[in-house]
Amino acid sequence: MNKSPISTAVQRVDSHGKTSGETRYLADYYYPDMLYARCVRSTRSRARILAVRVPELPEGYYYVDHRDIPEGGENCVAMINRDWRAFAADLTSFYGETIGMLVGPDRSRILQIMDSIEVEYEDLEPAVNIDEALALKGGPIHGSDNLFAEINLTKGDPDAAFARAARVVEGTFESGAQEHVYLEPQALCGTFEDGKLTIHASTQCPFYIRHSVAEALGWAAEDVRVRQTVTGGGFGGKEHYPDVLAVPLAVATLKIGKPIQLVLPREEDLEVTSKRHPSRITLRTALDSDGRILGMQLDTIIDAGAYESSSRVVLQRAVFTGIGVYDIPSVRAHGRAVATNTVPADAFRGFGAPQGLFAIEMHMSQIAQELGVDEDEFRRRYFVRRNSATITNGHVPEDVKLNELLERVKQLSDYDRKRRSYARGGGRGIALAFVQHGSGFTGSGERDIIKARVRLRRTEDDVIEVCASNVEIGQGVDTTFRKIVADVMEIPYTEVQLLNTNTDLTPDSGPTCASRSVGVVGYLLQEGARKLKARANEPGPIEVEQEYRQPPEIRWDAETLQGDAYPSFGWGVTCIEVQTDPVTLEAGVTGIWAAFDIGRAIDELVIQGQIDGGIVQGLGYAQIEKLESSNGRFQQITMADYVIPTSLDYPAINSCLVDNPYPYGPSGAKGAGEVVFDGAAPAFTLALQHAFDLPLRRIPVTPEYILEVKKHARNPVHA
Amino acid sequence: MREIRFTLNGREVSTSAHPMARLIDVLRDEFRMTGVKEGCGEGECGACSILKDGRIVNSCILAVGMIEGAVLETPEGIAATDRGRAINAGYAEAGAVQCGFCMTGMAVATEALLRQNPAPDEHQIRTAISGNLCRCTGYAMIVDGIKRAAIKGSGLW
Amino acid sequence: MVTFHRPVDLAEALQVRAETGAIPLAGGTDLLVRHRNWAGTLPRIDKPVVYVGHLQELRRIDISGNGSGPQMTIGASVTYSELLDHPTTPQLLRDSIIELAAPGLRNVATLAGNICNASPAADAACALYALDAEVELAGPSGRRRLPIAEFITGPGRTALNNDELVTAIHLPPDNSTVKFYKKVGTRRANALSKLSLCACARIVDRTVTEIGIAVGAVAPTIVRDRDIEHHLQNTAPEQLALRIPQTLQQYAELIRPIDDQRSTAEYRKHTALALIEQFLTHELR
Ligand SMILES: Cc1cc2nc3c(=O)[nH]c(=O)nc-3n(C[C@H](O)[C@H](O)[C@H](O)COP(=O)(O)OP(=O)(O)OC[C@H]3O[C@@H](n4cnc5c(N)ncnc54)[C@H](O)[C@@H]3O)c2cc1C
Ligand code: FES
Ligand code: FES
Repeated sequence: MNKSPISTAVQRVDSHGKTSGETRYLADYYYPDMLYARCVRSTRSRARILAVRVPELPEGYYYVDHRDIPEGGENCVAMINRDWRAFAADLTSFYGETIGMLVGPDRSRILQIMDSIEVEYEDLEPAVNIDEALALKGGPIHGSDNLFAEINLTKGDPDAAFARAARVVEGTFESGAQEHVYLEPQALCGTFEDGKLTIHASTQCPFYIRHSVAEALGWAAEDVRVRQTVTGGGFGGKEHYPDVLAVPLAVATLKIGKPIQLVLPREEDLEVTSKRHPSRITLRTALDSDGRILGMQLDTIIDAGAYESSSRVVLQRAVFTGIGVYDIPSVRAHGRAVATNTVPADAFRGFGAPQGLFAIEMHMSQIAQELGVDEDEFRRRYFVRRNSATITNGHVPEDVKLNELLERVKQLSDYDRKRRSYARGGGRGIALAFVQHGSGFTGSGERDIIKARVRLRRTEDDVIEVCASNVEIGQGVDTTFRKIVADVMEIPYTEVQLLNTNTDLTPDSGPTCASRSVGVVGYLLQEGARKLKARANEPGPIEVEQEYRQPPEIRWDAETLQGDAYPSFGWGVTCIEVQTDPVTLEAGVTGIWAAFDIGRAIDELVIQGQIDGGIVQGLGYAQIEKLESSNGRFQQITMADYVIPTSLDYPAINSCLVDNPYPYGPSGAKGAGEVVFDGAAPAFTLALQHAFDLPLRRIPVTPEYILEVKKHARNPVHA
Repeated sequence: MREIRFTLNGREVSTSAHPMARLIDVLRDEFRMTGVKEGCGEGECGACSILKDGRIVNSCILAVGMIEGAVLETPEGIAATDRGRAINAGYAEAGAVQCGFCMTGMAVATEALLRQNPAPDEHQIRTAISGNLCRCTGYAMIVDGIKRAAIKGSGLW
Repeated sequence: MVTFHRPVDLAEALQVRAETGAIPLAGGTDLLVRHRNWAGTLPRIDKPVVYVGHLQELRRIDISGNGSGPQMTIGASVTYSELLDHPTTPQLLRDSIIELAAPGLRNVATLAGNICNASPAADAACALYALDAEVELAGPSGRRRLPIAEFITGPGRTALNNDELVTAIHLPPDNSTVKFYKKVGTRRANALSKLSLCACARIVDRTVTEIGIAVGAVAPTIVRDRDIEHHLQNTAPEQLALRIPQTLQQYAELIRPIDDQRSTAEYRKHTALALIEQFLTHELR
């Protein structure tokens, strides 16, 4: 790779403070007179709330619920939709829903009072999974059909394809819920500062919080201030979920007038916060008599939980990514986001794409196996190219370097030799997954919804200041944003100042999600810096703003979901090697290799951190992170039971990048935060299929599941 | 109530906290050692790691009455030493730090390891941090940071 | 509010225990986790607590030799790390400890705590079953010793009286020539057991003279059966091989696991039997 100077790693600006303990996170701020809050939560999946009996409260203690929402406000958490209630009032729709909030100075006392609060319910029949919800068990939870969103897409002529088919291959693939386990639990503090309601929060999206608080209170957005505190991980879990806590907290702060800290204990965080959407995806492929793909049908169902949150957009990404990196001539796709009486699912790194990619990768391999041809060669034949038509009848706008990525990974991993020499079912396995991930918001979301703005300033003292609302959550933007601006200004990156996000002072450059911070907002910073530089000779302070403009060749119709769903893509090839234990059916990962096209790295070490962290998190999802729900309650609600990878679970990753600069990204960068996650689950599962010679259809692939498949597989993939 | 005495980062201190109070709460709320983080409160994540008599322990599942007379070191105490600075520099150079919430605990685990074994191999490093969960990095760059720390601070342990 | 006692010696600890029924506290990694509450609050324990982790009488490891090898007496408050550091610790126990929790836990947690907790999934306890350990108890009427399988009477239940403390664990000389430890956990490290197998055997002149098989997390208590073992003793490996099918059937009767948040009954049973078979066929050759 010809390394661009900007890719050369620098020292992260946040390293020192975080290692020494100087850096303060939300719980590390002690305000005078600070009170603590604890949520009173529903203990039913679906019930009418008949009464909440709160004992007489001692001096200084408060119970806050929907009746405290000021006049002109609304009992809702406004996200994309407004269906999620801030406080359950007469009905509760999932176990753990917030009913009220108890606030006071002494935490032991709060717990004592909590014990004596009684909620009287009239139980209703819950629908706790996709099948029950589609059967409308207990009556609809949402609308008349329990569908928060439904998508129908057609590309080419799928009917003709299936009519002509010599053979149809079908497979159903399922994935489970996943918990983010950001190491810092959800944490917020409500205060009044200079007379203004202020929410401090560990968050990815300060402006989302501002919006939902203002909407619930019936105020103008400007009357609420949100300040981000250093955030101990997010992965999507601090995208919208903090809104759900911020609204009740804001209501309490308004009522009580003192600083209130709300930090979720880990168990509560595991039990009630949003998860990755469980999915069930059925793929059917029409083949001609030579085994060529004529067309495909997708039926994508995601379990959205009790409220809509971001499920509509997650579903879109799951479907839009549903045929993976392949150019399939004719496609019919049907997608549904189903309402169930469970904790609402929401954003999680990948945002629907991991589910779609797992299914398509497994299915493509399934077809190859049924045809008796090489899985990798079969998939490679269908790789999309520049200008290939997408599932939404848009086009792939860029050079596709999948073949180059594939070659690099094969070299790194000695793939061909290993794949040949590990006998199918012989205990060792190795496999590849091919993935793509659209950078930024879906469709015209960036232009029509987000409308990002950034501000750059040269101060009196000649300091360059950058203001954006994309926040450091570990992914390195504190460093990469500085680098982007410094590169244009030709100054050391340490001389660029980045203002901490405060919704009063920073313009809204949109949320920190969707692999958009560097790719989309970084580009605005680069362009802004160019303007600033052009005016460098002017005396005195200078300020410039830069607004988002859609790249010219992008066409999108948000009504029909037709056109270019994403302006650019990250691409990846992930290779996993496993060694299995024939007695216990456990799998050990013995090698991990990957190559990515993310445009260009703004900082190689930052990108390596994303790759390492993303793949290990993806392997956790694929192998050990089991989150089962029984009657609408999660079963793994301690860190002892919901297990995430430790330092001894997976070996070091050997990865590389292929340069493919994108004209509308800063120095050519595209998004990188999610594509790195996407390939781990299919590669791991395919490697296990190779090792065990069993058809695997579900993640996480636990040894329990392998045993189940072994017992029930009458027809192994290769008999 | 009787005071509980112990040594904290080289200073003799005492607390009048209830002996069953969690050590993490006393360290954070009373001594403002907020480098000691709470990630789980159940002994699983290691964010609350400190050294007790030179060995790593989880302060969220110790009662303060159990550490009477002990010598405690927190991330803040370690960071202020030459060894702590070597650890910090090793991490920075390796790009080990992301969200940072696990990092003070990792630094404590690193100090505990290097005291016992100044030149650890990869497996020994991974074992030493196996009780410190990190959700961001996938660990390899932390392992690299520890190796670099051992070299930078060579002779200090 | 819970009272905390920090006695100066064992005698005082026993006195506190007898007078108040206080709950013993060693490393706290079970007790304080089970009763954990919220940041800034005390654990929810409705009885007084007597701390024993610091008592010198309980912090010793004594080695006494007799003809057949070293016998180890492990004080109740000895930590796992101290056991790992000790050269005499038998291999099986060492293997179980290396895979138990993580360094920070091992620096405080104790073997006595593991057995008093009486979980069928207790890893070190499983090794103690295979090693024929005995538990020493002290109370107002003096000391007594019980084989571990008699000390643990059910899930979460032991033969410990309200006025007693565990003072030590005795390990007879370990004369086994084959040792096999396998923990199947929820992940590769810092994991709780889905099931575990601790087995050892002594083979002299191609004859299996002694055998011990303990299986964790597959029944209300750790499974060890002397009768089944008896049938396997004093056999040559070839003969033993013939008895495997019947042996597995016998174990299948004893292995009655449950479905829970960590694993399934079906997997536990299948894997436990498969591991026993592996031990008998491959390890005992
Ligand atoms: C994160 C984590 C991981 C863990 N991993 C594992 C694992 O992998 N495998 C495993 O088996 N366990 C595991 N455990 C459980 C626990 O660490 C062990 O069981 C440990 O051995 C308990 O020892 P302790 O000294 O901490 O016990 P304590 O919590 O102090 O006591 C446990 C019980 O024993 C009683 N007790 C203690 N000492 C005495 C005495 N002298 N006389 C009478 N009664 C006494 C107490 O009253 C209490 O009932 C884990 C725990 C945690 C928090
Ligand atoms: S907070 Fe102590 S181990 Fe997680
Ligand atoms: S850096 Fe985020 S948890 Fe380790």
